[in-house]
Amino acid sequence: MAAPVMDERLEKYARLAVEVGANVQEGQTVFLSAMVEHAPLARALARASYGAGARYVDVRYVDQHVRRAMIELGPDEALEHTPEWLKTRFRATGGNANIATTGDPAPELMADLDGERVGRARMKELAEIVRDLMTERKINWTGIAYPNEGWAEKVFGEPDVERLWEAVAFCTRLDEPDPVAAWREHMRKLEDRAAQLNERTFDALHYRGPGTDFTIGLLPNTRWLSALFRTADGREYVPNMPTEEIFTTPDCRRAEGTIASTRPLALTGDVIEGLAFTVKDGKIVDVDARHGADLVRGELDVDDRARYFGEVALVDGASRVGQTGITFFDTLYDENATSHIAYGFGIPEAFDGEPGEGMNVSTVHTDFMVGSPELEVDGLTADGEAVPILRDETWQL
Amino acid sequence: MSNDRLDRYAELITRIGANVQPGQTVYVTALVEHAPLARALARAGYASGARLVDVRYVDQHVRRSFIEHVGEETLSESPPWVMARTEALADGGALIMISGDPEPELLADLDQARVSKARPVEASKRQLQAQTERTVNWTIAAYPTEGQAMQMFGEPDVERLWDAVASTVRLDEPDPVASWEAHTAKLRARCDLLDGLGFDAIHFSGPGTDLTVGLLPEAPWMGGGVSTASGISHVPNLPTEEVFTSPDWRRTEGTVRSTRPLHLGGTIVRGLEMRFEGGEVVEVEASSGAEAVRGELEVDEFAKRLGEVALVDGESRVGQTGLTFYDTLFDENATCHIAYGLGGFGIDGLDELTPEQIRERGINLSVVHTDFMIGGPEVDVDGITRDGRTVPILREDVWQLR
Repeated sequence: MAAPVMDERLEKYARLAVEVGANVQEGQTVFLSAMVEHAPLARALARASYGAGARYVDVRYVDQHVRRAMIELGPDEALEHTPEWLKTRFRATGGNANIATTGDPAPELMADLDGERVGRARMKELAEIVRDLMTERKINWTGIAYPNEGWAEKVFGEPDVERLWEAVAFCTRLDEPDPVAAWREHMRKLEDRAAQLNERTFDALHYRGPGTDFTIGLLPNTRWLSALFRTADGREYVPNMPTEEIFTTPDCRRAEGTIASTRPLALTGDVIEGLAFTVKDGKIVDVDARHGADLVRGELDVDDRARYFGEVALVDGASRVGQTGITFFDTLYDENATSHIAYGFGIPEAFDGEPGEGMNVSTVHTDFMVGSPELEVDGLTADGEAVPILRDETWQL
Repeated sequence: MSNDRLDRYAELITRIGANVQPGQTVYVTALVEHAPLARALARAGYASGARLVDVRYVDQHVRRSFIEHVGEETLSESPPWVMARTEALADGGALIMISGDPEPELLADLDQARVSKARPVEASKRQLQAQTERTVNWTIAAYPTEGQAMQMFGEPDVERLWDAVASTVRLDEPDPVASWEAHTAKLRARCDLLDGLGFDAIHFSGPGTDLTVGLLPEAPWMGGGVSTASGISHVPNLPTEEVFTSPDWRRTEGTVRSTRPLHLGGTIVRGLEMRFEGGEVVEVEASSGAEAVRGELEVDEFAKRLGEVALVDGESRVGQTGLTFYDTLFDENATCHIAYGLGGFGIDGLDELTPEQIRERGINLSVVHTDFMIGGPEVDVDGITRDGRTVPILREDVWQLR
């Protein structure tokens, strides 16, 4: 009979995402995006959102298998098409809260399909609407992961969901007696670190390591940030759970050299191994990978600004994600294990004034990992002095 | 469960049920628990040349939280994006709805008045309008779940439920598509016979039942599939065993006792009895779940009037299983039934009339349409001619008209 069985950990996790992550406000509509396999978490998030005073919770379930059918059997015109109703729904998210769940239950579901079609299969107009909402900072939003069998299988080679749950609970501080307080303390530490970098006003960063010799310019009117964001009207939220990074939006016109990814990159449908880029005048001019290069190339061709950089992020060895020693094959986690860079859309929140020409604007934003104990990161001052920032994954400032 | 069976089922739903046309957008409505069938339908839809298959998953647990928490005015709201999707669907889309409740009593402990009110009224109206105006080729089919098997058999024997479903939808035939064509032809022949006799009323008599339902001369008997205004034939229910018509909402008199449990809004109604006066339900009793029915009858002014009367004989494959499915899609095909709420099926030209004009012609309009079973071997069904003669239609579940 009736009253659903509750999993206390799951309810606690959902409350953390609602209260600290999206910071749902009384009277807001909460838009949830989840895969069908994430239903238990989506249900807990709906309960937690109503508990926090949401006016209405709208859950949109996506199904990768339905998407696969479209890519495999559907007409060309279906690939990039955004239904009108979906545009209406996403436009309604402005001023409201948004929660998305990750944790791919079938990470290699698209691997045997035509990579070019997989790369093209994204709702273009929808991505543009989301990009504009992000630029205008109208949504308090967060992303959290749901441990599931397929994801656990990918991570551990066996569907040990409980082991994955323990790692997720550790990374999201759910193992703390008071997770909400632990998060406040953690965000304060990251804010301090961002403040240290802001005092230095470096002109560029230089990365040096195996396969990497890369310089990327920074902008004078940007700030380093932790993932404690505010909407334009002042609602505070934490867009990623976990988060261990401090980051900024680089000068998209100034990047040179070669940069090698140090971890597998999970894109929708396949896992890219051994990725490396050659960069000239800010633009990715060559893509190399042991596996999956076509999928990356497809994404870089989605629009004419996808080949430029939007984010540089620094993570040190104190990261809880890094401490697990696990490759999660999920950007939400892996980007918090180690330092990373993203091609595509920049970080509007990193500007004190209006974003200028230096910030990249694209419908793509993909983080790839570049950090490792061998990687050395220096800050370059305007007069050319090199100041060590990371050595052996230890913070130097 | 073999993937092959699921794929053949999806193909049957796509081709015979909705009859998806090349270039159409297919709208699928499913519960999250129906994902395997929704996925098979996506494959079958694209294989039939669909332009896009748009699956919308509904989650009963999220709905439960919604009913528990939202403000009174939000309960019946249709968000703009739900309206937009319904508008697009109404504009020549194909619609496939999957039924089969994995947790039939999930909402039973909630305030049933709120459960009844929790529906996007404007969007439901728009969808019913599209179905009435025949701009959409649509079908409803079931997906067997553990919860339903549990309720039916006392154990989560999904395989046994699959066998029952496969038999009722003729998936056990070597050529299910050909078998469906013969079956729908038989039902259409019955409709022609009933239309030719032009009865003024149908009378049901049996234990607890003495009910006369007045008919409309302009309302045809329907069964074995329908066509859209643009000529796409489709079979709105898989399975289907009924022939049915839209009765005169002003002319129902007497008492009726339901012969099977009714699954309604997350609760099970047992032993339902109703009394009609001047076409309107004036009394509702039940051994359990009466509140759910009373709540629904209050949804709008015309929910208390009949919108359908349907005849089913003992040859029904659903009836032959001897099972109660706790799902109207099946149970209404086991035996004769009536529905309170929306009527007007198969009557042309309604889209040019106002609701008042439609009702003046005796056709019921409501956002509600709930079927409940009143037939069985002990219930005699007669047709009453305009000059007052009584013609037997069903005796001991055997069809009498030839």
